[in-house]
Amino acid sequence: MSATRELIAGLKARLEASSPLEPPPPLAKVEAPPHRIFPTPRTRGRFAAKAAAHTTALVGIGHVGTRYATDVVLQFQAELAVAHQAVYTELPESFASQNGLLPLQSRVTGHREFLLRPDLGRRLDDASLARLKAEAKRGVDVQPILADGLSAVACMGAGVELLRAFVTACEARGLTVGTPVCARFARVWLEDEIGEVTGARVAAILLGERPGLGTGDGLSAYLVHAPKLGKTDGDRNMMSNIHARGTPPADAAKRLAVLASAMLAQGTSGVSLDLGKLHGELGDAGGRGYRAPQERVRLVEVRK
Amino acid sequence: MRLSSTIRGIGYVFGSVKEVLAKANAPKSGDLLAGIAARDPVERVAARAVLSELTLRELREHPVVPYEEDELTRMVEDTLDEQAFRAVAHLTVGQFREWLLETKTTGPVLRSIAKGLTPEMAAGVCKLMSNLDLMVVSKKCEVVVRARNTVGLLGRLSSRLQPNHPTDDVQGILMSLREGLSYGCGDAVLGVNPATDTPESTAEILKALTEVMERNAIPTQQCVLSHVTVQMKALELGAPMGLMFQSLSGTEGGNRAFGISLGLMDEAYAMMKAKRYAPGPNVMYFETGQGSALSSAAHHGADQLTLEARCYGFARRYEPFLVNTVVGFIGPEYLEDGPQITRAGLEDHFMGKLLGLPMGCDACFTYHAAMSQDELEGLKVLLAAAGCSYLMSLPVGDDIMLNYQSTSFHDIPSVQALLGKRPAPEFDAWLAERGIWDGGPGERFGDPEVLR
Repeated sequence: MSATRELIAGLKARLEASSPLEPPPPLAKVEAPPHRIFPTPRTRGRFAAKAAAHTTALVGIGHVGTRYATDVVLQFQAELAVAHQAVYTELPESFASQNGLLPLQSRVTGHREFLLRPDLGRRLDDASLARLKAEAKRGVDVQPILADGLSAVACMGAGVELLRAFVTACEARGLTVGTPVCARFARVWLEDEIGEVTGARVAAILLGERPGLGTGDGLSAYLVHAPKLGKTDGDRNMMSNIHARGTPPADAAKRLAVLASAMLAQGTSGVSLDLGKLHGELGDAGGRGYRAPQERVRLVEVRK
Repeated sequence: MRLSSTIRGIGYVFGSVKEVLAKANAPKSGDLLAGIAARDPVERVAARAVLSELTLRELREHPVVPYEEDELTRMVEDTLDEQAFRAVAHLTVGQFREWLLETKTTGPVLRSIAKGLTPEMAAGVCKLMSNLDLMVVSKKCEVVVRARNTVGLLGRLSSRLQPNHPTDDVQGILMSLREGLSYGCGDAVLGVNPATDTPESTAEILKALTEVMERNAIPTQQCVLSHVTVQMKALELGAPMGLMFQSLSGTEGGNRAFGISLGLMDEAYAMMKAKRYAPGPNVMYFETGQGSALSSAAHHGADQLTLEARCYGFARRYEPFLVNTVVGFIGPEYLEDGPQITRAGLEDHFMGKLLGLPMGCDACFTYHAAMSQDELEGLKVLLAAAGCSYLMSLPVGDDIMLNYQSTSFHDIPSVQALLGKRPAPEFDAWLAERGIWDGGPGERFGDPEVLR
């Protein structure tokens, strides 16, 4: 027998003679881990309480080994599920007409295409273009547009309220307002074509913003002066985080009307718009990327 | 030059090297959006077959953006290490792949050719490699850099601590910062994306980070990721800046959309070398991500992987301390789902390392991309196994300002323990001394009050 075969035979004999692992020791009753839950005003520790005054980041949550407590995992999963639900909900075709708005659709034909082809979401389909030309008021100061954007949930939530309040606020400032429209599968830049067709001096699109964790209900507004195809992000002013925990729709509408008036008065928008004098009146609407702080809400409650 | 191949008797002909590179690319929604992707999986393989027969010299002679039209192409061409190039110029891309995978092609060998490779070569060979191929070669690449500590050593995994806040509330930033440090995160950089892009707020945040670093004697570096021109003004205000940051794109036009140029970056680098807070020698921090050139219509019909490699060609001019591909941040129109984001993360890490850069990866997704938290956790482990220099770290991986999902404070020690990795040696010693982490959780692990 060769040395190698002898070695293998010896190993085999040894491994078969005894189990490769020792039997596990008997265990006394496992003590239940301390009750760790996602920090709420009632239950959080000293650091989490102090942090809550300054940030919505999930800090002071402790750990199990190097991982999260079960309650934190559930909160985290619920927040992601809410965000995904907002992204994947489609705006019903009937939503516009049910709310007395002129229904429009971009060149996008389905939800996956909407996510993958922003270029198609920036242009109207042929039927919508014809309908807009035939039915919308021309030559107005402000063209209001409600749209789904990246959260139809937000659009269906406070969208119509924001749109109506914005129209009222513009009219109160003596501006002429175009036929309110509602666009499906719409990206921000769709306002360029809509505004160009109606010959509006300012186009304003109010649409669902890309959801964050646990926040699928935020709306954003983008305004552009002299809308036409080819405008870029630098030509726009925007306001984000329009919802009950951020800027409520009624406040947002007033500030957006101030912004539209400033664009008309100065004949420009975007980086070249001077907002210096309007700071107090504008609040958040003066920003080009501002996001107001908000309370983090516990989403999961279990009742037995 | 032959640009045709046959699969099952059907001939495929390609019009240019750029077209071959684009069609050979792994499936990416961004290449479909640009209208340059292979029309089906068979054409993709046909393009790869053609690519495998091109030599590295031919790739150098056919950059995806012409020399006359682009300052990045000119800079790469004019500064290439000719001796290193000559060592590999004759290899076909297929042979180059095999040579990279050979056991005898070790880290030092790879380091000696890095400066002779153009971005197109790194991108070309990347397209012939599977995910595991990419990991095997990446792990061999040695890129070690130093600022106030040393990142990229064998067996190490560092992390950027990213305590962002939607309104730059400094107290809020510091709360996340302390929490993260108590989980052993932050050795690559304490790096804040500011909500307000002004020199004053950049300086204010830098000062706050520096106070925590100095009060607790933390061997790391600090950075506020505002625009480079804003950071230059902050430096003039006397702000303590461990690393200077900028986002890069892969073409002159893409960089114009970012408000930068080669000339501006040269100026910024010179200023940072003169006014830096960390001893260095590496003082720059760059971020990239597939799709940025297309998003500003400055892609010249080239695929997003090749353009990403060109960002690295730009970055290496400045011997950075950190380069980070923010892989899933740009959205599903460029990288649609978990498999595409996973592949892109491994590709970018490979290409950067091959070109000699200290690559980290922000393994992340936005909430409109089709990726799950489980898939994202998988990518973090794959990157760390491939020798990725650093990952990000945030409270539960949730960026409350930028609204996307990344790596968490809990993920860094989890991945380190899983793979037997340790943080940068200077930081490692500090963590052990403070009772936070010493190859496993210490007494003060996860206790933010350990920080003063």
